[in-house]
Amino acid sequence: MEDIGETEDLEPLFDYRRVQPHVIYLNDDKSPASTPKRRKTSKTHVGKKVEGEKKEIAVVNCDEEEDWLPPPPKVLVGVQNQLDEDSTIKEMRLKKQELLSVVNSSAEDVLREMDESAKRKSGSSLQASLETLLAAVAEQPSKPPCERLKIVIQVQDKDGTKQFRMYMDDKLERLFKMYADKVKLDLQNLVFTFDGDKIGPTATPGSLGMDDEDMIEVHEKRS
Amino acid sequence: MSGGIARGRLAEERKAWRKNHPHGFVAKPESLPDGTVNLMVWHCTIPGKTGTDWEGGYFPLTLHFSEDYPSKPPKCKFPQGFFHPNVYPSGTVCLSILNEDSGWRPAITVKQILIGIQDLLDQPNPADPAQTEGYHLFIQDATEYKKRVRAQAKNYPPVI
Repeated sequence: MEDIGETEDLEPLFDYRRVQPHVIYLNDDKSPASTPKRRKTSKTHVGKKVEGEKKEIAVVNCDEEEDWLPPPPKVLVGVQNQLDEDSTIKEMRLKKQELLSVVNSSAEDVLREMDESAKRKSGSSLQASLETLLAAVAEQPSKPPCERLKIVIQVQDKDGTKQFRMYMDDKLERLFKMYADKVKLDLQNLVFTFDGDKIGPTATPGSLGMDDEDMIEVHEKRS
Repeated sequence: MSGGIARGRLAEERKAWRKNHPHGFVAKPESLPDGTVNLMVWHCTIPGKTGTDWEGGYFPLTLHFSEDYPSKPPKCKFPQGFFHPNVYPSGTVCLSILNEDSGWRPAITVKQILIGIQDLLDQPNPADPAQTEGYHLFIQDATEYKKRVRAQAKNYPPVI
């Protein structure tokens, strides 16, 4: 590509410009950084997940049904960028192989092969995460909008705040259990309050009139 | 509609408080028997600071806002007879930031008021006494003063 650029230098300015986008495009094809859209989505997604596991202030999902979000990739963040790129390269290679096979085989074979490769892709976890991500984005509009409202709730203890995500009509008891598990304390010894009042296990964010990001306090019972 | 300003600001204060406030503090507008909320009166709880003689006490405080809020500060009241050099026998807190002629600024938030009062508990201002008993013990009999403070903290245990 450099060669082309060099020779093009001698050409009139207009021609040079006309060529340039093409050069960038080629570059795009080879460099793993070429799919900004895809990388971006997977990155933000991964960031969230890792926060959920690593950091103190994190959004934790209390949902059982994950259909609205693709399954998070089970990778550490340090390795993630590398893997991300690797998977892109892998994908590129697969595509290349597919293209080669198109040349070599009949149309029928190609169809079969594509089917298989699709299956293969959804089998491997990393690839799957990318695929499902894209699929989720594609499917979302076709699905009926989720009627259950979601809410982010902050749980504050003496050491700081943790964030939990749950449904407005879900019992807060579930959040309490998740919190107790997370901080490794016995649920029996914890009292959760909202506006100074103890929260009963059957209360829901809706029944308490909570707004997004409202805060619940945790107190340890004195023995 | 002068009250609109006060109520609008208080609604904002309320929203902000629910999303973030210091641990152990409570601040909520009064609920009337008919289920409506009176934004002009807030019932609050101030926890005594850990590591001080006030620790373990959860002191009830009521904020009374006027239609002139936030141009004018709210009146902040502990229960009548509250033991503290800077609390009037009526329970009203005497603090510079709560005085419209000295430290009050409309930008001061409910959170700042409550934290300011929590600070005042353990750091009374002998230059500005509001009750004789608390003031005299504070400057004359440190041991007895300490005892009284601890006893008062025990009188206001956590509600939950």
